[in-house]
Amino acid sequence: MVPDVDGKLHHFTNVGLYDGLFVMQDAETKTLWNHIMGEALYGPLVGHNLGPVGNLLQMNVKQALAMDPKMQIAISDRIYFAGGRQFGSTGGPPNGGTRQHGPDPNAEMGGRFVPTLGKEDQRRPRMELGLGVWTSATHRYYPMERIREHGGTFIDQLDGRKMLIFVNSDTNTPAALLVNASTAKMQDGEIHLDNGAVVRDGALFDRGGKRQAMERPQQVFSRWYGFALTFPGCEIFGE
Amino acid sequence: MPTSNSERRTKSLRLLLTVAALGAACTALGFAQTNAPAQLPNGPAKPGFDIRRFSPNGGLFKTFDVEQTEPLQNVLKDGRVAEDTPVLVTATAAGNLALLTDQMVFHHLAQGRAGGKDWMAAF
Repeated sequence: MVPDVDGKLHHFTNVGLYDGLFVMQDAETKTLWNHIMGEALYGPLVGHNLGPVGNLLQMNVKQALAMDPKMQIAISDRIYFAGGRQFGSTGGPPNGGTRQHGPDPNAEMGGRFVPTLGKEDQRRPRMELGLGVWTSATHRYYPMERIREHGGTFIDQLDGRKMLIFVNSDTNTPAALLVNASTAKMQDGEIHLDNGAVVRDGALFDRGGKRQAMERPQQVFSRWYGFALTFPGCEIFGE
Repeated sequence: MPTSNSERRTKSLRLLLTVAALGAACTALGFAQTNAPAQLPNGPAKPGFDIRRFSPNGGLFKTFDVEQTEPLQNVLKDGRVAEDTPVLVTATAAGNLALLTDQMVFHHLAQGRAGGKDWMAAF
């Protein structure tokens, strides 16, 4: 996302909820913004957009370095944990770092979130987890259980192009990658494509083992309500 | 409190999954503590947007103002991250940039400038 409006830098903060999703506000005009699409929702900058919107990919350090050995990192002073040790000096332990339970697809939404919701799409459970993929022409949701029903990886079509959908075995997160292959098979934590390419540690390698550039569609790991309220009437894979 | 790598890894993965829901799980923390009114303009609203459904969080979260970065390889060698440490990766005009998921659960937003262009990541 680009935090510039008409060529001028704006400064953004998370200020609240709408549709159960966090909302940004810029300090310069107090306009409220959608954090997924970068679209102005309320205020003097309605009609503006913080595009182009990029992906924020979820992975671990090993995969990040496999993707790009020259990867940079930015670390704030906020407390975090790595390798069983605590680092940082500000704030308490990360929210969720001491959670005893992982996300539950049937978990109930917090009471403060519910009044912010618009008209919900009842086709899937509100808190279900899945992968949302979108282009200007297509908005599609892949429920995690549907991805797993396909062995954790498969090839789908997105606007006429082949798209690999898979669950990252290390982080248990789903992802989408545009590829030139017709079938995909999970084997020992790697994804083998019928063109000889392999996805290993989240990176794509050709049949000779050479790293390939990766083209990813816009995507977000999301609960159903969030994606459905952002993209009303979206497609659901398998329905 | 001693914590093994495997235990930490499990917790990190849980965290990764929990906060993945467009930040919703993280925002709950803010609401549990404060709910001061936000400074709002008097519109206009995007068609279909209902300001009555907006719920402020009192300004609990602080955006990460990124002023410096360093090679992830070096940080791994220094032991300040582990191979299984969850990160969020965004593309900037200067190349790929990783942010620690544990920290972004709090910040939600990171802003900076790289390669002569401003960038922002929202989680």
